[in-house]
Amino acid sequence: MSALSRLPVRLLAFNILLVFLPAAGVLFLDTYERHLLEAQERTMGQEGRLLAAALEAHGGLDAAHARAILVTLGQRHLARLRVVDRAGTVLADSALLGPRRPPAEPSLSPTPALPAPPQRRLLYLVGSLPFRLLRGADSPVEQERDPIDADTGVLTGGEIVAALGGRYGAATRVLGDAARTVMLNIAIPVRIDDEVAGAVVVSQSTRRIMSTLYAVRLDVFRVFLASLAVAVVLTLVVATTIARPLARLRRRAGEILDRRGRLTGGFEPSRRKDEIGELERALAELTRRLEEHLRHTESFAADVSHEFRNPLASIRTAVEMALEVENPEERRHFLEMVQRDVARLERLLSEVREISRIDAHLDEEEDSPVELATLLTGLVESFRLRSGGSGPRFELDCAGAKATVVGSADRLTQAFENLIANAASFSPPGGTVAVALLSGGGHAEVTVADEGPGIPEEHRERIFTRFFSWRPAGEGAGHTGLGLAIVRAIVDGYGGRVSYRSRAPRGTEFIVSLPLAPSNAPRLSRGPGSSDGAGPEDRGPVSATAAEAR
Amino acid sequence: MSGTVAIVEDEQNLRDNVAFALRREGYEVAVFADGAAAWESFQRALPDLVVLDIIMPRMDGLELLRRIRSTSATLPVIFLTSRDEEFDRVLGLELGADDYLCKPFSMRELMARVKVLFRRLALAAQPGDGAEQLLGVGRLTLDLRRYTALWNGSPLPLTVTEFMILHALARRPGHVKTREQLMNEGYPHDTFVSDRTIDSHIKRLRKKFVAVDEDFDRIDTVYGLGYRWAEEAR
Repeated sequence: MSALSRLPVRLLAFNILLVFLPAAGVLFLDTYERHLLEAQERTMGQEGRLLAAALEAHGGLDAAHARAILVTLGQRHLARLRVVDRAGTVLADSALLGPRRPPAEPSLSPTPALPAPPQRRLLYLVGSLPFRLLRGADSPVEQERDPIDADTGVLTGGEIVAALGGRYGAATRVLGDAARTVMLNIAIPVRIDDEVAGAVVVSQSTRRIMSTLYAVRLDVFRVFLASLAVAVVLTLVVATTIARPLARLRRRAGEILDRRGRLTGGFEPSRRKDEIGELERALAELTRRLEEHLRHTESFAADVSHEFRNPLASIRTAVEMALEVENPEERRHFLEMVQRDVARLERLLSEVREISRIDAHLDEEEDSPVELATLLTGLVESFRLRSGGSGPRFELDCAGAKATVVGSADRLTQAFENLIANAASFSPPGGTVAVALLSGGGHAEVTVADEGPGIPEEHRERIFTRFFSWRPAGEGAGHTGLGLAIVRAIVDGYGGRVSYRSRAPRGTEFIVSLPLAPSNAPRLSRGPGSSDGAGPEDRGPVSATAAEAR
Repeated sequence: MSGTVAIVEDEQNLRDNVAFALRREGYEVAVFADGAAAWESFQRALPDLVVLDIIMPRMDGLELLRRIRSTSATLPVIFLTSRDEEFDRVLGLELGADDYLCKPFSMRELMARVKVLFRRLALAAQPGDGAEQLLGVGRLTLDLRRYTALWNGSPLPLTVTEFMILHALARRPGHVKTREQLMNEGYPHDTFVSDRTIDSHIKRLRKKFVAVDEDFDRIDTVYGLGYRWAEEAR
C-alpha cells in the first residue's frame, strides 16, 4: 500500500513498542512467583513445626500417636504431612487418611486447578513460546521422585537426612508437569530430650501457585493481543487521516505546474478542522494569490502592449500622411502630432517602468522617517512656481500638524505630486487646489481637493485602475491613466489607503491615509504654531486656508 | 466613389488622421469619440461604412456593432483592434464585422479596405451585370470583383483579407505559398503584420469552409514552408 509510507510505519513501530511495555511486565511475574513460593514454604514450615511441637509434647515418638494426631488434625492442613522416625521409616502419612479438606483461604484465591480448555492452552503455549525459549537453558530438568530405599521403605531424601541430623531441610522435586509443577518438601526435626527422635516431612505441590500464575499470564497475554490489535488499528487510522491526505497534498503540489510550467488547477480549500486542513487551506490561499499575481502580471503586460499601440498607430498614420500631403502646413501638423505622440510614448514608458519598480522593489528602498508637513510645503511651493500664476491656486493647510511617516521621501513625493497634478488638471481656470494635512489616531491624513467637474459615479470602481483614464469630453487627451494607479501602489506599499469623495457643490477630494511612525506617536502635533498643547486627536479643519502664504 | 464613413475611435490623434485621409479620398466623414455618441447619431441615420475601435469608454466597439447589426445586416464595418488577444477579433468577426486591422495599421491598408468594401457594396446592389470576373478552381468559385466566394455553390462569408489570402492560395493549386507571400497578398500595403496573423486567418478560413462542408480539407499546412491549396483528385 503506497499510503503506508514511512510515516505510518514509524507510527506503527512506536505504537507496538508501547504495547510491549506491559508485556515486559510478565517478567515481573517471576519475582511474584518466587515470593509466592517462599510464602508457601513458610506456611508449610509452620504446619510442620506445630506438628513437631505436638509430637515433642507427648514425650515419645511412636506410630500410633503420630497417626492419632494426624487424625485429630482431620485433614484441615494444607500440605501432606508425614512423620518419620530416626531411621527414616514413615510412621504416619496424612495422605493415607483420605483427601485433604483445607479451610477457605483468604489470601491465595482458591482457584481450582482445573485443566485449562485446549484453546486456552494453545493460546498460552503460543504466548509463552518466547519465554520458554528464553529459559531454555534451565528447562531440561531431571524427573525426581521421593527417594525411597527400595528394601526398607525408608525415605532417604536430602531434606530428611538434614532433619534427622538436627537441621531444617528443604528440597524441591520437579514432577514433570507441563506447567512446571514442583513438589516442595521440607523436613523439621522432632527433638525429644534434646535428641533427634525423628522428623516431620511436609510436602505440597506448587500446582496452585502455578495455575494462578498461569491464569495471570494468560490474561496479560490476552491484553497484549488486544493492545496489539488496537495499535494496528490506530496506525491505520493515523495513516488514513494524516499520511493519506499528506500524500494527496504532495501529489496535488506536483500537478500544479503543467509541463509547460503554467499554473493549472490548485488546492481545493479543505473543510477539515485539523492541522492538515489548515495546511491545505494555507496552500490553497498561496496558490490563489500566486495565480492572482500571475494573472495581474499577464493582464498588465497585455494592457501595456495595448496602451502602446494607440500612440504607435497615431504615429504611423501621421507619418504616412506627412509623406503624402503636399501642403507644408498640413505636413507640419502631422509632424507635430508625431512629436506629441512620441512624447506620450516616452511618458508612458517611464510610468510603466515606475509602476513596475514600485510593484517589485518597494521594500528594497531605504525607508526613513519623512516629515509630511515639510514634504508637502516644498511640493506645493514647487507647483505654485511652475504654474506661474496661470493655473489654479494652490493652498496648503498643515494646521501646525507634524506627522512623521516611515517611507521613501522620493516615493511619497511622487504620490502627492501625482495627486496634486491630477487635481490641477481637473481644476477650472482660477480654481483652487487645496492640500491639507491632519494627524491623529495613529494615522496621517493628507487631502487634496479640487473644484473640477467631479468623478462620475459609474467610474468609482475603476478610478485607481491602471490605464483607466477619464476626462470630460473635449479635454486633454494623452493622459496615461497611470497617475492614480501609481499613487495607490505607493500608498498601499506603505500600508496606507487612498480614497476619494465628492465635494459639494463641485469637485473631488482625494484622501491619503498613512500610518504614523510608531516612535513619533507620543510627541505628535507639536507644530510651530500650536505649542499650546494640541493633542494628537486634535484634527485640523478640512478647508482652512491658514497656511496660505505667498 | 463616395459615401459617408463614420469613425468611432477614442484616440483623438488617430481619429483625426483617419478622418483626414478619408476626406482626401473623397468620402464624407463623421467622427465619434465613443460608442454611445456614435449610436446616438446612428439611430437617426446610418452611415455607409463604419471604422470602429473596440476598446472605448462609454459603450465599446463590440456592443456598438451588436446594435448596428440589429438595425442593418449589411452595413460594412471595419474593426481597429489594439489587443493581441484572438478573442476580440474572433468575437468581432462573429458579430458580423467585415474586416479588421490591428493597430498600428497602415493608413493605405485601411483606405484599400474601405475602397474594397464600398465596391463590394456597390456590386451587391446591382447583380449580374455581365462583367463578372470569376475564378473557378474545382468546386471553389471566386468572384474577383465582388470579393465573394462560393464552395459547392454555397456562399462563404469571408472578410476581404481572407478572400485575398484564399485567392492567393487557390490561384495556383498545388503550389506552396509562404506566410510572407500570403501576408503580401492579404495586406498589400502593410509591412508590419506578424506572420502569426496568417496562421489565425488560415484557421478561420478552414472553419468557414467546414461550416458549409464538413469534409473540407483543401488547405494543406506545409510545415516549415507555409500553406497550399490541394489539387482535387479527379
